[in-house]
Amino acid sequence: MRLHPLTALTAAGCAAVTTTAAGSWPLSLAVALAAVLLAVRAGVGRRVLASAAVILAPLCLSLLVLHGLFFPEGHTVLAQWGPARVTTEGLGFALELASRTAASVLVLLLFSFTVSVPDLLTALAARRIPPQFSFVLASTLTLVPAMAGRLEKIRQAQEARGLVVRRGLLPRLVAARLQAVPLVLGLLEDAGVRAQALDARGFGAAGPRTSYRQLQDPPRQQIFRAVALLLTAAAVVARLVTAWPAAVLA
Amino acid sequence: MNASGRATSAPPAAAVRIVSFSFHGDAGAALRDIRLSVQPGSLTAVLGGSGSGKTTLGKVLAGWLRAGHSGILRGSLALGADVLEFDGASGDPRIDPAAWSGRVGYVPQDAGAMLSSVRSTVAEELAFGLENRAVPRLEMLRRVSRTAELTGLSGLMERDPAELSGGELRRLAVACAVIAEPEVLILDEPLASLDAAGGRQLRTLVDGLLAAGTAVVLLSQAVDALARRAGHWLVLDGGTATAEGSPAELAGGPHLRDAGIVGAGLAAAPPQALPAAPAAAAAPVLELRGIGFGYGPAGVLRGLDLTVRPGEIVAVTGPNGSGKSTLLRHFNGLLRPDAGEVRVQGRSIDGIPAGRIAASVGLLFQQPRDQLFERTVLREVGFGLPRLVGAGAAAGRAHEALAAVGLSDAAGEHPAELPSSRQRLLALATVLARRPAVLALDEPTVGLDRHGLEHLADAVAAAAARGAGVVMVTHDLDYARASAHRVLALDGGTLRETWRRGSA
Repeated sequence: MRLHPLTALTAAGCAAVTTTAAGSWPLSLAVALAAVLLAVRAGVGRRVLASAAVILAPLCLSLLVLHGLFFPEGHTVLAQWGPARVTTEGLGFALELASRTAASVLVLLLFSFTVSVPDLLTALAARRIPPQFSFVLASTLTLVPAMAGRLEKIRQAQEARGLVVRRGLLPRLVAARLQAVPLVLGLLEDAGVRAQALDARGFGAAGPRTSYRQLQDPPRQQIFRAVALLLTAAAVVARLVTAWPAAVLA
Repeated sequence: MNASGRATSAPPAAAVRIVSFSFHGDAGAALRDIRLSVQPGSLTAVLGGSGSGKTTLGKVLAGWLRAGHSGILRGSLALGADVLEFDGASGDPRIDPAAWSGRVGYVPQDAGAMLSSVRSTVAEELAFGLENRAVPRLEMLRRVSRTAELTGLSGLMERDPAELSGGELRRLAVACAVIAEPEVLILDEPLASLDAAGGRQLRTLVDGLLAAGTAVVLLSQAVDALARRAGHWLVLDGGTATAEGSPAELAGGPHLRDAGIVGAGLAAAPPQALPAAPAAAAAPVLELRGIGFGYGPAGVLRGLDLTVRPGEIVAVTGPNGSGKSTLLRHFNGLLRPDAGEVRVQGRSIDGIPAGRIAASVGLLFQQPRDQLFERTVLREVGFGLPRLVGAGAAAGRAHEALAAVGLSDAAGEHPAELPSSRQRLLALATVLARRPAVLALDEPTVGLDRHGLEHLADAVAAAAARGAGVVMVTHDLDYARASAHRVLALDGGTLRETWRRGSA
């Protein structure tokens, strides 16, 4: 069965919110693992993992440094260098936060790499979401492939004029710096022309719109969305109720 | 004024009177003293060389450049009986681009710029403009299928717009403008980079629109097959009208030549400038042996052989999508063959990075925009030169190359802001500055006006004279025969000689 894009969006959003609200690392890991398995099944495993690595690696590293080494509430000291103390509590907190973020990032990446952008736009248009908003959303979802294509062209143009990209991280970073400026300038220039073309095709017009593409929204999926939203809201409320007194007392 | 009573009483489909139009921030006017009036069902050609103001005029008329929003307009725009007067003041009328474009369609030179980029099939891309205008779905389906039939897109409805060929993309862009059923349709260089079949389809499409009463305005720097069918010509030069009248009145006159317009007996490449073909005994600068490349059982290139000697100019022709650009990318290692070998100056390039082969092979890309990435024209030409010839000689080489293509006056400009013909010349200059042993030129003539074609012909002849081998891909057979020693057709993945200088 084909998932309605809003069903997929609801599922991803609810999973992310519930995982955050629950704040339990086994659950976070389970959700992250499930997202990876689903991504592999959908044939986007490599892309999801690569993007997640780019987002999560610096984040996890900073979490580890910040909480692993400098966690004021930590008692069980494992090692100590001057003011930096590695504590069990600090490491636990870092793991907790990292797994929670990883779960959220993975489910949302899974959604963005598997959703059919035209279907999503159709669904949003049918719910009277302003088309400008939908366009920005769609452009964001298609930005990475568009940028990759353009980067490839710039690299070829530079290679054709004597740029030798050697293997290794440093030469690649130097080459990336050479390609970044033309990439951004090119995207900006495109945006200017695109705006004129969109205007000319009535995109800026106020008032109602119609849709050429038609989308099935089975009643079962509508029920699923309603239930998922309710359960998520309940999870958030439960979390607030149980956490608040403790937080206030502390 | 037309002498016939009917034409004088019926209002024109559109009339534009431009006293002046200047972009915000520019001191000088981009356009001045232009009048153009077009009747329903008529074809009008606005002819002019590079930078003559054709595109600006087309965009002002089409509402892509709006008075007040994009620049300051003094003059008037009229559609049918509706006339808007502009004084360049804050009280001027404002054009609603959505409503205006429903009456005047414009198809830009870069057809891809017309697309929404968020629709996944040709059919949905066609419907995009109708969705925005809230056309009911049944009516939309009817108009999509009718427009597709008119533009020959019926067989491509489920294709991804991003994967269309150049000719198909052009027809889709025209269709996107036509589907709004405008009274006036402006086509900016519609035949550029179309092969013979694509050109025929476009002419048929224009005939259909004219018969349906649409006024079609053609913007072109060449007196091409479409321009010859126009009933009225307006010649632009330096942003102003220098002549107008029927083709019979203007053809062969001085105005067309001065404006840099190509064609209609205005020979561009003087064939006498071509150096003599080299001796067959000379060691080749470029050799391809048994090249195979491509996916699937058919492949794009199959057992392809090519030998180019120093000083030899070879033209490669073939329809859109036959693999001509793919072939050129093998010369400098941007693409590597699945089978066979490429030798440059006697050495196999296997395993050598593209950046190093670039010292011997210069490639002019089909889309010059893909080749330009620097902030100024001078920096663009200078990219990579210091490493090649040393910092001392680099500046001299860069200025020399700019002079060779007539861009010395533009050294400080931003490449993206040049008109597309000058972008192509700049891309050519970046290749010339490196003085490669092999020049590979992908559709070098597209979009060039007469002055540009002369610079190109001179540059190619000079490169051949110093011993470079030149391979150019073109769909322009006349140009190929005027400027090459041999013409090869790329057909079924291999090259076949179709013409040789001196043996015709």
